[in-house]
Order: sequence, then structure tokens, then C-alpha cells
Amino acid sequence: MRGIGWHRAALAGSLLVGIMFLGIIADLVWQSLGVLSWHFLWSPPSEMGRGGIGPEVRNTLVMVGAASLISLPLGLAGAVFRVEYSGAPLFVKVFDRVRFTFLSLPTIVVGLLVYQWVIVGLGWPLSIRSGIVALVVMNWPFVVNVGIEALEGVPDTCREGSLALGATRSQTLRRIVFPTALPALVAGLGAATARLLGESAALIFTAGMNVAVHWSWGMPGETLAVHLWYLRTESLAPYANAEAAGTGVVLLAVVALVLYLTQKIAHWLKPRDYSRKSA
Amino acid sequence: MNTKPAPDLVVQNLSVHYGEQVALKDVTLQIEGGQILALIGPSGCGKSTFLRVLNRLVDRSAEAHCTGEVFLGDTRVLDPKTDVVALRRAVGMVFQQPSAFPFSVFDNVAYGPRLQGVRSASRLRSLVESSLKQAALWDEVRGKLRRPAASLSGGQQQRLCIARALAVSPEVLLLDEPTAALDPLSTAKIEELILALRGDYTFVLVTHNLQQAARVSDVTAFFRQGRLIEIAPTRDMFTAPKCEETEEFLTGRYE
Amino acid sequence: MKRQMGMGDQCLYRVVWVGAFSLVVLGIAIFAILFWGTAKFVLAHGLNQSLLGLIYEPTQGRFGLLPFMAGSLVVSGIALAVAIPLALSLAVTVVDMTPRRTETVRQILSGLVAIPSVVFGWWGLSVVVPAIRWISGHSGFSLLAAGLVLAVMILPTLSLLSINALTRVRVQWVEGSLALGATPDQTMGRLILAVSRFPLLEASIIALGRALGETMAVQMVIGGRVLLPHGLVSPGATLTTQILTDMSLLPPGVSGHHVLDFMALLLLAAMYGMVVLLERTRRMSP
Repeated sequence: MRGIGWHRAALAGSLLVGIMFLGIIADLVWQSLGVLSWHFLWSPPSEMGRGGIGPEVRNTLVMVGAASLISLPLGLAGAVFRVEYSGAPLFVKVFDRVRFTFLSLPTIVVGLLVYQWVIVGLGWPLSIRSGIVALVVMNWPFVVNVGIEALEGVPDTCREGSLALGATRSQTLRRIVFPTALPALVAGLGAATARLLGESAALIFTAGMNVAVHWSWGMPGETLAVHLWYLRTESLAPYANAEAAGTGVVLLAVVALVLYLTQKIAHWLKPRDYSRKSA
Repeated sequence: MNTKPAPDLVVQNLSVHYGEQVALKDVTLQIEGGQILALIGPSGCGKSTFLRVLNRLVDRSAEAHCTGEVFLGDTRVLDPKTDVVALRRAVGMVFQQPSAFPFSVFDNVAYGPRLQGVRSASRLRSLVESSLKQAALWDEVRGKLRRPAASLSGGQQQRLCIARALAVSPEVLLLDEPTAALDPLSTAKIEELILALRGDYTFVLVTHNLQQAARVSDVTAFFRQGRLIEIAPTRDMFTAPKCEETEEFLTGRYE
Repeated sequence: MKRQMGMGDQCLYRVVWVGAFSLVVLGIAIFAILFWGTAKFVLAHGLNQSLLGLIYEPTQGRFGLLPFMAGSLVVSGIALAVAIPLALSLAVTVVDMTPRRTETVRQILSGLVAIPSVVFGWWGLSVVVPAIRWISGHSGFSLLAAGLVLAVMILPTLSLLSINALTRVRVQWVEGSLALGATPDQTMGRLILAVSRFPLLEASIIALGRALGETMAVQMVIGGRVLLPHGLVSPGATLTTQILTDMSLLPPGVSGHHVLDFMALLLLAAMYGMVVLLERTRRMSP
């Protein structure tokens, strides 16, 4: 066959990409083997070696969970207004520009702003609750986006059908639009949560880089991603590199679990087509 | 226009399988160069597969497997050593849905010549003009060659696709239900065009429209469920079909 | 004619109205605050010593931002230059696969998109920096290292968007091209890539946005030097990494703290520019 030289080159490039990503993950897992254990997963970190990441796991789950719960209604409200109610073209244009710019805003800028408002302005400590504020600000436009994409995926014929039967706007939304959009919504929220789990730039100066012995909303709350960064840049602990790799593996596992579960739930929520049952 | 004589088409025991599924079974037929062969039959009878074998577009589905022999002139179409690119240059194809590229009218027609390395602007211009004239579209698009092809009507787009195929000077033209998506007036124009080009190219025309087959073709072949049921000169086929099945189909007893 | 809304409808309408408008208000407030901080900074220190300055010595009152802008642009440029050919390779290979396999690749890629950037930073420290140290003889912490780490980081996003762009090209066009005697390479170059050039441009802009905005992965491998870099293997800093570094050195209240607002505003302006550019390229897409 002639004229497939570029296709061959592309195949080589694709293999390179595949090998590279496999290599990154394999390297991470390989380097972490020395530290990964139940002890590592449960105990507090130590600068003297043989520490763990117990508090980081807890802080990450609490902060990401709380931030997701808070930003969900905020984001959904914006999405519902934009898709179901807003008619004015000018509003749509302004809203879309703000949401896309906000969405692509570097998270370090979100960290800077929350630091200025909440830590300096309101006098909150470097703490879990300040970190949650940063995560909410970061997540809000993302959830709006997820919501808009999910709602726009619902065909207009569904809405018109319901409205034609005499349902009100809110009934249509609750009984037709939301159930139809739910799978896409769940999958999108999984992606949003994964993004929060991996966040570090917005948290270093809001939630801080230490863990408290006694957990409280007002105490510093280092997350897994921040801990990985800290271990690999500032820490003097003897096993810092292996511990960083171990933290990375745990972080990747949590991210993968969230994505897997949300995908599964989304798939399960999809309306099934019983008519096409195999004969 | 075409210096080479249109080649004969000879098909011997052609079978095509898609995995387990049989698309064509043991088809044997022969037509002389320059004639127009019409393929008729119910949907899914293998007509389109037959066309896609002739320019080896069937290769695009990895599961497809062809056996038998197909000759276009001297070319053994199914031979793995056959240069598919050269084969496709000799065998033009027009599809059911107008498939004009999202480029300008000019770039659509110049696409084929450019593939073969024609760079000279004046050569391209004369090729485009002559192909559009051959396709009876020139009068409607002259002066609008830089407009996007999508701005043309469906019938014009279909003739543009014919012009695009003619620009690489093929010897065979495959037409896959070329008028299925068109209104009667555009259909008439395409049919006129086919008759005007008759003799210069060997045509294989797949059609759902029995009147079209009767009006245009020299030879008609009736396919059903992957088998060639009957092939005969069009006039004989439509006045006195030999097989009962053909008669049933022609009189509309099944679709 | 305006119909009366029911109670439930009205209540819902108000709630979602508040939700939508507060996002706009917060977005505009972010701009206003950064603008206000920048204005204060410029009034105090002038533009010559900041936006156009080459030397960054906050304690001496010199806030030249050019090294960081250059760093951001060079690092993102390297990232795109490396990632675009690789992403296109993947897309070109994947569009020829069966739909089922394409879907599998898509799912793997959307998983890889979620890899936290610190993991790429870790990889940069354990592989890229030592490799550059070994080849160049310098420390290895460099713009090049940052660019390569970013290239790998944006690769899943860029590949995913490129695959989406190429799979939108219609089958009739592809078969039309092949039927005219185009080789697979010719069909790819003259038809598929030509038709999807605007969606591909769109993908590159989105990837550029991610590269410009990334902080941690870059900070870990770039070396953090505030001088204008004189080569690809010399250390440097970007707007984002310098904000991170200076948040502890220039806390609020210290003279010059507002240079952070200035840097943040430059990033915000870049992102806004990209959003407007994306609106344009979307309009050009078929």
C-alpha cells in the first residue's frame, strides 16, 4: 500500500505516548513500593522518616467532599438559569465570557484572592475551612459548565412535549429535564471532583502545609496533592522521594476510584432501551 | 475527452462476506466497455457492496472478505498486488448523499488533479472548466468558482461530484443511487448527463428507481439477497423478464 | 402576552437567578480587585519598573515582570510544540480504528486528564530534570524541563480534543477523497486535517490556557530564577510560579505586595483574550 508513511509515523508517535504514560505510572508505583503499607496509609507524617499520610487522606476527603457539596447547588443554579430561563442574548454572552474566563483562571490566582479576602480580610487562619472556600471558588465555574453541558444535551422536544401536556416549567425540569441530564451530570461531577482532589496551588496559602494533631475546621489541613509537592520540594525527610511516590499512588487511586464510580453510576442511570433486546 | 477506450467489466464468481454475513454470493457477469449497467433490487441486496468492490472501497471494512475474480480491462481488481490508488483513479465514484467537500467549487474539482501533482494554475483552471462543462454545470457556476460548494443546490452538488470524478479522467464511473436525494428536475438533468457521457466511460449505476434504470441503462442486473438473479439487456428485462422473481419485483409485488 | 407563573416556578426562578448572577458578580469582582491592586501598584511604582522592566528585586523597589512573561510564553510554547505533533499522531491513528476501540482510547484519555499536576511534577523531578542535567551538564532545572513536563501534562486534553475534531469529519468526504485516488496520507493531509483546522486550533488554544495557568508542575522543575533566561536549559520562572514564591515573601501590607495582583491580572487578561479568540474560532468551524 502506498501513501501511508505519515500514518506509520503517527502510529510510532502514538506508541511513544502510550509508553510514556505507562512509564510515568509504572515509575510512580515502582518507587512507592518501599513505603506503601497500612501503616503509611494511617499514621501521621514525620520528618524523621517512616511517617504516613493518614491526616492528609482525611483532610483531602473532607475538604473535597465539603467543597463539592457546597459548589453543587451554586453551580447547578447558574446552569439552570443559563439553559432553561435566560433569554437575553447580551446576558448569555456576558455570562459565557465570565464563566469561561473564570474556568481557565489559574488556580494560583484563586489561591491569591482567597488568601487576600479570607485569611487577610476576614482574619481566618490557614485552615481547612479557608481551603474549602478556595476549592469552592475554583469548582463553581466548573460545575456550571458541567451543568450547562448536561442540560444542553437534553433535546428540546422533551421539554416541549412536557410543556404541551400542561406541565409547569419547574415540573418539566424536575420530572423530565433533570432525569434525562442526570447521567451526564454525574459523570461531569466525577471529573470536577477529580480536579479538586489533585489541586494544590490554590491550597498552599489557604489550607497550609501542615497537619494538626487534633482535627478541626480551623486547623491547617494539608491535602495529599500538597503533601506530595511539599515532600518533593521542601522536605528533608530521609525517605521523601519514596513517600512522595506513595502519596502519588494513593492520590491516583482515589482519583481513579471517583472516576470509576461516577462512570458506573452514570452508566447505570442511563435510560435503557428495552426494545432492542436481542431476539 | 477520454483517449483510452472504456474497459470491459468481467466478474467471475464474486463473493463478499462481512465476518459471518454474506453480502454477495457467486456473482458472475460481463459487460462491454462504454455500456451502462444498472443494478436494481431490494435494499440490502448487495448492490452497493458490488460497487464498493469495483474500486476496492470495500477494503475500508476490516471484516470484509472477497473471493472470485473481477477484471476491469486488464486490471485484476481483487489481486492484492493491484495498486489501489491507481485503480481508484481509473474508477470514479459518485455517492448517494452529495459528498462535496467543504471547500470552494474550484477546489472540489481541482482536488483530484492536485493529488496527482498538477500545480500549474492555468492547467488546473482548464481542467476544472472542462470537467464542469462535461458535467453540464459550467453555465450555472461560472464566476462563482470561489464560492463554497455547500452554497450550491443538492442537484448542482451532485453534478459537482460528477465533475470532480471526471477531472481525474477515469475510465469507469460508479454511481451509487446518485439521484435518491434529489428532486425530479435535478434527477432529469443527471440522467441527461449520464446519457451524454455514454460510450466514453463504462458506467455502473445503482438505482432504486426502476424507471431510471429503464430510461438510462443498456444492461440491467437484478440482485436479491446477495445473488444475481437475472442479467439481460434492459429492454428485454423490462418487457419479458425470464425469472419469476424478477417479474415480481418489477411489478412491485415486493420491495 | 405574559402568563402568570406558579408559586413553584417563581421560587425556582429566583433561586437560579441568584445563582447565575452571583457567578457573574464574583467573576467581575475578581477582575475589579485585581485591577484595583494593579492600579495601586502602578501608581506607587510606575510602569517602567514593572511591566517593561527586566530586573526583579522587590526589596530594591524593582519589579521587572518581563522575565516572568518571557518564561510563561517560552515554557507554554515548548509544551505546545512538543504536544501538538504527539496529540495529532494519536488522533490520526485513533480515527482509523473501529468506533469501539476509539471509545476505549477516549475513556483512557479522559482518565489521564484527571492525573493531578503534582504527579507530573514528581515525574519531571525524577526523570526529566536528571536527563537534562546529564545531557547538558547544567543543573537540569530549566525552562526546557518545565516545557516538557507541561507537554506531557496537556497531552491527554489535547489528544482528546483532537480526536473529537477528527472524528467529526464526515465519512462521505473521506470516502469521496479515497475514491478519487487519494492515498491515506493525502486524505489525511488535504481533507481531514484541512477540514478540521479550526477545531484543532481551538484545541490548541485550550491546551495553551492549561499550560499558561499551571503552577505546581512548573514550579517543581523550573528552578525559580528571576533573571531573564538566556537559553532553554537555564533556570527561570513564570508568572504563576512567581506568584507562588512571592506570596510568602511579599505578604499583604508589605510594599510591593500588589505586584502579585499585577501578575494575576496579566494572567486573567491572557485567559480573557483566549476566551474571545475561542468564540471567533468556534464561529469558523464547519
